[in-house]
Amino acid sequence: MTALSRGARALFLLGAAVFFGLPLLWLLLAPTRTADDLTTGSPLGFGSLGNVGDAWSHLTSYNDGEITLWIGNSILYAAASVALALALCVPAGYALAKHAFAGRRAVLTLSIVTMILPPAALVLPLYLEMSAINLTGTVWSVILPLSFYPFGVYLAFLHFQANLPDSLLDAGRVDGASELRLFWSVALPLARPAVALIAFFGFVRCWTDFFLPFVMLSDDRTFTLQLGLMSLLQSTGAVNNSSGFADLDIHQPEAALAGLVACAPLLIGFVLAQRFLRTGLLAGAEKG
Amino acid sequence: MKTLTTSRPPALTNAAPPPSRRGRRPARATAVWILVGPYTLFLALFGLAPAGYALWTSFVDNGSFSGGRDWAAVFHDYRLGDAAAHVTTYLLLWLPILLLMVLSLAFTLHARPGRTTSTLQLVYYLPGAVTGSAAALLWLFMVSPDTSPFSPLLRLMDIESATDALSGGNLIAVLTVMGVAVHAGGWIVVLYGALNALPKDVLEAAQVDGASAWRTMWHVKLPMVRTYVAFVLISSFASGSQVFVEPTVLSTSAPGQISPTWSVNQLAYVYATQDGDFGKAAALSLAMLAVGVLAAWIVITRTHMYATHPSDSR
Repeated sequence: MTALSRGARALFLLGAAVFFGLPLLWLLLAPTRTADDLTTGSPLGFGSLGNVGDAWSHLTSYNDGEITLWIGNSILYAAASVALALALCVPAGYALAKHAFAGRRAVLTLSIVTMILPPAALVLPLYLEMSAINLTGTVWSVILPLSFYPFGVYLAFLHFQANLPDSLLDAGRVDGASELRLFWSVALPLARPAVALIAFFGFVRCWTDFFLPFVMLSDDRTFTLQLGLMSLLQSTGAVNNSSGFADLDIHQPEAALAGLVACAPLLIGFVLAQRFLRTGLLAGAEKG
Repeated sequence: MKTLTTSRPPALTNAAPPPSRRGRRPARATAVWILVGPYTLFLALFGLAPAGYALWTSFVDNGSFSGGRDWAAVFHDYRLGDAAAHVTTYLLLWLPILLLMVLSLAFTLHARPGRTTSTLQLVYYLPGAVTGSAAALLWLFMVSPDTSPFSPLLRLMDIESATDALSGGNLIAVLTVMGVAVHAGGWIVVLYGALNALPKDVLEAAQVDGASAWRTMWHVKLPMVRTYVAFVLISSFASGSQVFVEPTVLSTSAPGQISPTWSVNQLAYVYATQDGDFGKAAALSLAMLAVGVLAAWIVITRTHMYATHPSDSR
């Protein structure tokens, strides 16, 4: 690689980093500043850590620290749905990629259809379905629909299709391994990067999903973090000054802090998933 | 290039028949349905059943067949034309830019992987992690020249206030920038993961043959991740034609500036939540689905996405 192309590459990557990174840097600094300073001060100014503490105590003063309850709920819903989604997606994606069976095309086609179906059309029927079996308001009304994850099936399908050589499976068959054994001992260990990717995107989806819990849950003690923070911020008019009550000290810095709290797990999840993605476990898999 | 990876000799299975030849086929079919069955059950319960119900309600009102009344009402809604025009313009701007950003950044990162690569991926992912009210706050401040770290760029575009940014032709540009910032990172991760999982020997072979980085990307890597690119295209087309988050977020932070029915999906939400008319919401959602499925079908048949063996894709 010449010095010129190396320089162009670095400049391109750096420019993109500024474009994607600056909004977050601003959001990271926002809770350290006061609401006034946000509108009049310099765009990337740093206020004080004391302001962050104040903003946090304002957030937790809402309904005796209900925010910690929401964090716990979000973790529970997301962990359960992701675990269930992985157990459903990965074997299904493997079978769809590596076996020609009757109904295969139908499952693939119907999966993509439900994947691109607008949520506006799905959520109300889901509510009626859940209320028909008396599950609305319970954790199951959120966990079960979220663990149906056609996007994850597609990621698994594409991964096995492109990266698992048939020769490896045939070798296992010659050795007398059963089909289920082949999945468990050959395909699955090699698919760790894909599993990490699906787990990460599944987690992001469960963590950020708003409309489904919004429709299913009515008691604010069962709310997810997204749901709770949104109702907190909207009822106090932190984002839109024209509505809300003024008796709670919830303004722009609090909204920024709430946003950071809500996206912190996604960033941690990203770092954890990336560790698996970088290892490139498939290297040399076929040569052995 | 697939022939390099799949070295399966065709005679292998015939040459060494497994001892339990009898009953093998049924056993394999059982195994397949053990693997795919549970997911199929969930697909039926939480995908097909609600979708079928939506289709039903778009034709049936209060227990009696209403013909295409809901559909006709939707297509005669004066707001639909504007919304469809907005979404079409948005797609024409956003989809090519997004695809170009995702492909160029994923390939540039993959050309020389290292520790900085993972840091950069995280940075590119950051705007996608901010949702809800925080996103509304963030983007309102980002488009206000007084507070934005991008103020020189905004002033270059003749934007003096947030009102300027959200009015006239500027709005579509702001929505596009926001749409790219929010969605690109996730796809970069998916594509980079796909590139990372490619068999190393093929890439090494290209290098030994003296292929330049550019040729390797264009003639070796891109064809090998072709199905992933198809997947990005299908999903992005669907999510772009159903654009909801970006206009909603900007309109909650600046009420009155952006129509609550700016996009088609927003119109569907207005039917469902404000009018309480689920029949019309379902009809419009299904119309959007039809557009997405048509696009998906074109991409799938063009790229042979459903092939079980690499040779099928020829």
